[in-house]
Amino acid sequence: MKLLTKNSLTLLSLTLFVFLFGIIAFYYLLRLEVDQSINREFEKRKSNIINQVVYDQTFKNITPFQNEKIRITEIKNISNHGPVFYDTLIFDQSDKKLEAFRQHGFVININHQNYYIQIFKSLEETDNLIIRIFLIMTFLVLAIIFTIILINRYSSGQIWKDFYDTVKKINNYNINSQEPFILNESDIKEFDDLNRVLIKMIDRIKLNYINLKEYAENASHEIQTPLSIINAKMELLLQSRDLKEKHLKSVLDAYEASNRLARVNKTLLLLAKIENRQFPESKLILPKEIFDYQLELLEDLIYSKNLEISTRYEQDVLINMNPYLAEVLLSNLIKNAIRHNIYGGKIIIELTKNYLLISNSGSELKSNPEDLFKRFYKSSSSKESLGLGLSIVQKICEVYDFKLNYSYQNELHSMRVEFTGNQS
Amino acid sequence: MKILIIEDEFALSNSIEEYLLGERHLCEAVYTYRDAVEKIHLYEYDCMIVDINLPDGSGFDLIKLIKQKSITSGIIIVSARNSLENRIEGLEKGADNYLTKPFSLAELNALLKSVNRRISFSGQNEIIVNEIRLLPDEYKIFIHDQELKFTKKEYELLMFFISNKNKVITKTSLADHLWGDYMDSTDSYGFIYTHIKNLRRKLINNGCTDYIQTVYGVGYKFEVVEDD
Repeated sequence: MKLLTKNSLTLLSLTLFVFLFGIIAFYYLLRLEVDQSINREFEKRKSNIINQVVYDQTFKNITPFQNEKIRITEIKNISNHGPVFYDTLIFDQSDKKLEAFRQHGFVININHQNYYIQIFKSLEETDNLIIRIFLIMTFLVLAIIFTIILINRYSSGQIWKDFYDTVKKINNYNINSQEPFILNESDIKEFDDLNRVLIKMIDRIKLNYINLKEYAENASHEIQTPLSIINAKMELLLQSRDLKEKHLKSVLDAYEASNRLARVNKTLLLLAKIENRQFPESKLILPKEIFDYQLELLEDLIYSKNLEISTRYEQDVLINMNPYLAEVLLSNLIKNAIRHNIYGGKIIIELTKNYLLISNSGSELKSNPEDLFKRFYKSSSSKESLGLGLSIVQKICEVYDFKLNYSYQNELHSMRVEFTGNQS
Repeated sequence: MKILIIEDEFALSNSIEEYLLGERHLCEAVYTYRDAVEKIHLYEYDCMIVDINLPDGSGFDLIKLIKQKSITSGIIIVSARNSLENRIEGLEKGADNYLTKPFSLAELNALLKSVNRRISFSGQNEIIVNEIRLLPDEYKIFIHDQELKFTKKEYELLMFFISNKNKVITKTSLADHLWGDYMDSTDSYGFIYTHIKNLRRKLINNGCTDYIQTVYGVGYKFEVVEDD
């Protein structure tokens, strides 16, 4: 969840929670206040009636106001009739429905006769009033809450601006670029501290990276040169007519060993470079083109193993990646499919916008499929292969976030590469 | 062919020279940028082998210099670094080819010959070895003036042999030449054997002498008696 959203949601939920309690309290207080007000009116009316009756010594001038009813009953025993307030429902003749009334009863003595007077006041109006006030209040407070949240959101946005700027700059940072990593100064101390630490960290990482890059390249250079001398000298020795056959054989073995060494070195260097993200340039490439070229280049091998190739290419499949790595990836997959194939077997290549599937016939692996990608792992059938080809495939897939998957079904080994999130 | 070898690694430069002298090329070797500049200014060469990583300068600058002086000199870059950018830069600056160390001397030799052919005989280009006549511009092979049908790989194989005649060529060299880096396993060796067998059969069936000899356990040799 985004920062500002969480901020707003948290504020919103907490204030609504408080608001809930507040509004309930408000309701009861309002009710209480209105009640007391109504009762005060009753008292006034009671005094008013008492004064009138005592003066008149008769009830005939007592007329109920609007929304008020008065009931006068003669009583003998006054002890049951203390002054009370009492809410009740009465069927109102004019409105033809049940309405709420409050009743206040008290005793008056006139001409030595006790009378119980009951004043009934309709609560209808006040109830409506309470509801209306309550609703207005609720609405108002909610409006205020939302406004505050919006204001808070805006001001948070302003405050966190520096932070977002930093995050964006980090996201866009390319360790290969020559530009220095700059973060704006912030007037908020915490962000400023964050920026300082980040800059230091990135500078250090970049230095490490450059060192590593140079180390990998220099190591390779330092190794390739003596190897090329060994190779050249061996090749010259092999020309000799003076050496006995067994000596020539020794020379040849040394020559081939040094060749293998050179290849391993080259491949390890490639792996290191890929790992260091030293191939950032991406272009839209056509995998079909690469496949066509590879299949033609290796056609003799394919023919000699009598392999049947079937291909299914979806139209216009383009992949955005470094062209060199694309070639390495695809050629390694094909070479693998050829090398581990049986005589008379087949190779199936399926290419769509979302995935590449390349299958080859062959007997089931005797070992763990996960080991397949480990460096220098070789299946028994091909003793001389370097065992690095699939590591390279895996590493390239890692760089581009392609999902790589191996499976064995119906006597077919299948490598599946999913171009997740790559398509333009 | 007059060849200038610009390589700082003495032992390597030495080996190249030794191999090429057997071909009766005229070779000169320099080991530093400065010496290279001097030679380039003073003399003409048919082809130059340039190491990119010289101790006192960059091979790329030398290429620029060479191209300024004489457009017709062939240039082959030799480098321990197999980076795509280097390769592209080199070819853009005017080099004819790029070889990564370690490389086979037979491969270097074949490249030198092809660069030289391209430069000196544009048009009338023919390679004749007794009854075999090759037209590289048209990819045609004639035995006793009869044109023969060959596959691309068979043509390249024959061309490689002829370029390195009388030299022992290892199976590794052959595999590298035909398929480049792609063959990194020896299950290609039985494969080479098949190719060569087919090539020899084709040649012999068309009245050609069997020049290709097997050097047991090592490789092959295209043996031709040279008239001096």
